[in-house]
Amino acid sequence: MALRQWMVTHDWMIKPTAQTEWIERRGILVWIAEVFTSLGAGLYLVSLFFSNWWGMAAAWVIIMFLKIPLHLIYFGKPLRFWRTIIPFTSAWKTSWFTRGINFNIYFGTIVFFQLVVGYIAINVYPGTAWDGWYLGLGIAGGIFAFLVGIYSGFIMSYCKSVPFWNTAMLPIIILLTGVADGFALMLAIGLADTSVDLAAVETGSRIVLIANIIMMAAYVWNATYQSKTARYSALLLVKGALMWWFWLGVVILGMVIPLAISSLSLFAGEATIGLLITAIVLHTAGAVALKYVLLKAGVHTPLLPTLSYSHRL
Amino acid sequence: MRWGMVIDLSKCMRCHGCIAACQVEHFLPLGITWPRLIAWEEKADELTTFPVRCNHCKDAPCVKVCVTGATQQREDGIVWIDQDKCVGCRYCIIACPYQNRTYLSKDKDTGYFPGYGLTDFEKAGKRLYPHTVGTTEKCNFCMERIDEGLSRGLTPGVDREATPACVNTCPARALTFGNLDDPDSEVRRLIRGYKGFQLHLEHDTDPSIYYIDNGHRGV
Repeated sequence: MALRQWMVTHDWMIKPTAQTEWIERRGILVWIAEVFTSLGAGLYLVSLFFSNWWGMAAAWVIIMFLKIPLHLIYFGKPLRFWRTIIPFTSAWKTSWFTRGINFNIYFGTIVFFQLVVGYIAINVYPGTAWDGWYLGLGIAGGIFAFLVGIYSGFIMSYCKSVPFWNTAMLPIIILLTGVADGFALMLAIGLADTSVDLAAVETGSRIVLIANIIMMAAYVWNATYQSKTARYSALLLVKGALMWWFWLGVVILGMVIPLAISSLSLFAGEATIGLLITAIVLHTAGAVALKYVLLKAGVHTPLLPTLSYSHRL
Repeated sequence: MRWGMVIDLSKCMRCHGCIAACQVEHFLPLGITWPRLIAWEEKADELTTFPVRCNHCKDAPCVKVCVTGATQQREDGIVWIDQDKCVGCRYCIIACPYQNRTYLSKDKDTGYFPGYGLTDFEKAGKRLYPHTVGTTEKCNFCMERIDEGLSRGLTPGVDREATPACVNTCPARALTFGNLDDPDSEVRRLIRGYKGFQLHLEHDTDPSIYYIDNGHRGV
């Protein structure tokens, strides 16, 4: 297409163009932060289920010292961060981003106290009222971990401008993949902490991975008939520029191989430590790839739907 | 009262005057433009253009998603950004169905002559209309002109002093500004008379920018 040289053109308005703010240049920080969101929130929920103090502590560190700082560094004006916190803003009434930031703060605060109380309950005064407090704070921490794990899905699904994200399935996928990530990290903790029931973690991992595969397939399938732009995004994943990231990273490394390894125990006894480490590493790589393809395939509907959707597949 | 604009596609002659006027009016850094003129060829030798800018949607997604409440909507429908509140999260840029927001990064504000200091024009701009690197920007319908004009008893869209700079500058009179809530206003008359349309109705945003296409658009 020969455009006149003197005319400034804005391709992003007349062609389906992927969002770049949250994946390119400094946007890479958002991608990595979202990976830590899944790892942290998922690990906390799984650790809470298995009542593993070390897992919860690791999850808290991931959220507070890896995820939140990356988000802050991404902001153009990080020192204005306080403006996002209730009661300094009322934007939480409509903005999932504001809600999410506050969920993180509540999670960080509650889980900090829970970990301190839990440490005392386990090591200093076992079998006393401290246990009750530990449990109560754990329930509150679990609620906020759930919200931390799901809010980024709502942030994305709210955007009508990006049809691929604009579906109620996305928050569920983000949460479920986070829980699967949590199971993978729980396996890692189980390699060092003998109190972890590895067989039970493997069983949980199997169930969540199967659910993830079904959800992911449904999500991509749904996108193919949701709208022209969503279909374009889905095709980017299935046979376009993101094909390798999707099939190799998300599906094979992140889902199929970890599922195969965790299923080994059904047929051939417990998986070896080497295999478990492989599953953990591959699954985490899959988590990185999943966030990448979701952000990268976020394509805006063209302002003027005049041109072909096949120009960059 | 709800301010709006009608853009006559058949009159636009691609002079970029609206963009230049806005650049001067708001002392915009060289790397960004608030209004844009998009152009493409549908057929050989037939160039089509579309002037675009913030649509000042009645139900604006950018206002809803803003993390701090920096993006606000006035009672007259104008959507504006309080740059002192913006944290630069860029959620609004992604949520805008019209892709009419810009993040002002350092590389977009290098000055007119990088490495040679600021021109007098740029110095005046820094004083009169400071732009904050690390925040998001967009068209504000020249709300300073509107407010100043109204305070002097002028009518935006009728009196030049109270009308957005791009509308004043357009030599082909392709841009018309006025009150969308007034059934007798020029903008309403044009929308009625020429079947004005908005972009992306499926998003239910009810934009304040209407387009009319009263004739042949090609070159």
